[in-house]
Amino acid sequence: MDGTIGILSQVAFWGLYSGCIYILLATGLNLIFGVMKIVNFAHGEFLMLGTYITFFLFVISGFNPYVLLVGSIPILIIVGVIVERLCFRPILGTGKLNEIFISLGLIYIFQNLVALIWTDEWRSMRSPFADILINLGPLQLPLDYLIIITVTAMILVSLYLFLQKTALGRAIRAASQNRRGAMLMGVNVERVDMLTFGIGAGLAGAAGTLWAVSGQVFNPYMGSIPAIKGFAIIILGGLGSIPGAIIGGLAIGMVENFTAFTLGGSWKDAVSFILLIVVLVIRPTGLFGEAEE
Amino acid sequence: MKLFNPHDPRHLLTSALLVLAFLIPFVIGSNLYYLTILILMLIFIIYASAWNFLTFSGQGSLGHAAFFGLGGYAASLMAVKLGLPPLVTLLFGGCFAALIGVLIGLTCVRLREWFLAMVTFGFAVIIQTLIVSQLAPVTGGWDGFPVPKLVPPSFPGYLMIEYYLVLLIAIVIILIFRYLLQSRIGLALAAIRENEVEARAAGINPVPFKLFAFGVSAFVTGIAGSLEIFHFGYITPEIFGIDLSFWPIIYSITGGLGTLAGPIVGTIVVTLLWDGLNSLGLTYARFIIIGVLLVLIIIFLPRGLVSLPDEIKKRLKKRRS
Repeated sequence: MDGTIGILSQVAFWGLYSGCIYILLATGLNLIFGVMKIVNFAHGEFLMLGTYITFFLFVISGFNPYVLLVGSIPILIIVGVIVERLCFRPILGTGKLNEIFISLGLIYIFQNLVALIWTDEWRSMRSPFADILINLGPLQLPLDYLIIITVTAMILVSLYLFLQKTALGRAIRAASQNRRGAMLMGVNVERVDMLTFGIGAGLAGAAGTLWAVSGQVFNPYMGSIPAIKGFAIIILGGLGSIPGAIIGGLAIGMVENFTAFTLGGSWKDAVSFILLIVVLVIRPTGLFGEAEE
Repeated sequence: MKLFNPHDPRHLLTSALLVLAFLIPFVIGSNLYYLTILILMLIFIIYASAWNFLTFSGQGSLGHAAFFGLGGYAASLMAVKLGLPPLVTLLFGGCFAALIGVLIGLTCVRLREWFLAMVTFGFAVIIQTLIVSQLAPVTGGWDGFPVPKLVPPSFPGYLMIEYYLVLLIAIVIILIFRYLLQSRIGLALAAIRENEVEARAAGINPVPFKLFAFGVSAFVTGIAGSLEIFHFGYITPEIFGIDLSFWPIIYSITGGLGTLAGPIVGTIVVTLLWDGLNSLGLTYARFIIIGVLLVLIIIFLPRGLVSLPDEIKKRLKKRRS
C-alpha cells in the first residue's frame, strides 16, 4: 500500500514537472492573446528555438545550463519582437484565419532554418546534476526536476511583479482589458503588442531551456506537440487568463503522466486532445471562456 | 448556366489547361518520374479543393490529414481483406472519412476559428495514436502494410492509365464542387461565411449546412487519400503527419482562398516550385522558401495568385491616374 502511494506521488511529481513547461508556453500564449487577440500557432517553434539556443550556448561555453536562461530568454524576446513586427502586425485585424495561416508559414521557416543549421537528428544534452536524486520519504526526486519547478515559479513571480508594478506592465494589462481605451489614454498599443509578443516568445524560450536541461530529446520538429498542448491548456483555462494557464498547465501535466502510467506511453499525447474535445463538446467557448457577441 | 463561353477569358484558360492536361502524357512520353509528379499533383488538387470547400462555409481545418489517412486506411483495408478492386473501395474510403467527418463536425460547427483549428489539429494526432496503438493488430502499427495499386503494374503503360483515371476523377470532383457552389446550397454557405447572425435572421440554419460542408470535404479528402495510397501501393501512419495537413492549406492560400481555381493554380505552382527546388538540391531550404512565400502571399496578396491579374490591373490604373 505504501508502495502504491509512493508510485502515485512520484507520478504526480512528474506531472508537476512536465506541467511547468506547458505553463510557460500557455502563459505566453495567453499574454499574447490577451493583448492582440491572436493565437500564435508557431509558438512551439519558439520553444524549439529555445532548446537549440541552449544547446548551442552549452556546447560553446560549457556553463551550467540553468545559467543559459540568461541567453535564451533575451534572444527569444528579440526573435518574438521581429516576428510580430514583420509578420503579425501587417495582418492584424484582417481575419482570424489569416493569423493561423501565417503561423503555418512561420512553422516551416523556423523548423527548417534550424534543420539547416543543426541538421534534423534527435539531440539531447546532459545536465551536470543528472545523477543527483533527493530522497523525500518514499519519493526519489531528481534534483533537476526540483530546480525546474523552482525556476518556473520564479519566472512566473517575476512576470507577475512586472505586470503589476511597472509602467510597461500596467500598459500591457490596460491594453488587454480594453485596447481602444488604452489607446485613448496614451498607451502606444503597437509598442505594447511588440513587447507582449516578445515576452510570450521569451517565456517559450525559457521553457525550451528547461526542456533541454531536463534531458528530454529534441529535434527541429519537436515544437508542434507541446504547442498544441499549450492550446489545449488555454482553452481549458480560458483564453487570456494567466491563472487559468497555470492551473490548466498543471492539470494537463498530471493527466498526461497518469494516463501514460495507466494506459501506456502512446496515449500521452492523445489524452490532452481527447480532454480538449470533450470540454469543447460540453462548452464550445472553453471552460472559463465567456460567450462573445 | 453555360459550361463553356468562348468570350470569357477564364473559360478559355480552363479549356486550355484541360487540353494540356490531356495531351501532356504524349509530350513527356513514358517518363515515369514526370508522370508520377503529375499524378501526385492531381491527387493534391483534389485534396486541396476538398479542403478549400470547407472554407466556403467559413470553417477551416488544420487536421485534414485525419480524413486523408482515414480514407486511405478504410479503402486499403477493404481492398486487402475483401479483395475488392481499388476503384470500388475508393468510394468506401470516401464514405468512411465523410462519416467520421460529420461526427467530428458535430463538435466543430459550434466552435470559433481558433478552437476549430485546435480541435481539428488534435483530432489528427488522436487518430494517429489510435492507429498505432489500439488498432495496431489490424493496421500493422507504425510498419503499415502493402496495398494493391490502382492499376496493376502488369498492365502495359499502367502509369498512363492511372494518370487519366485520376484526371477524370479530379475533373468530376471539381465539376461537382462547381455545381454545389452555384446551387442554393452554395448561396447559403456564402451567407453563413459572411455573417452567421444575418444568415440565421434570413432563415438559414447554419448547422446542417456547415455539417454538409464538413461531410463533403471529408468525403473528397478520403478519396484523395485512397488515391494516394493506391498510387504508392503502401500505407503507413505517416499519412496522418502534420505536413499532410498543411499542404492543402498552403496550396489553397497560394492559389487563392474561396475560389474554385485557387487550389488548382496553387497546387500546380507550388508543386512545380517544390520539385524544381528539389532538383536544385535545396532539401531544407525549399521548406523555408515555401514558408516565406506563404507569409508574403498572406500579407501582400491575401486573395492569392488567382487575384494577381486584377491586382496588376489595379496598380497600373493607379499609376496612370
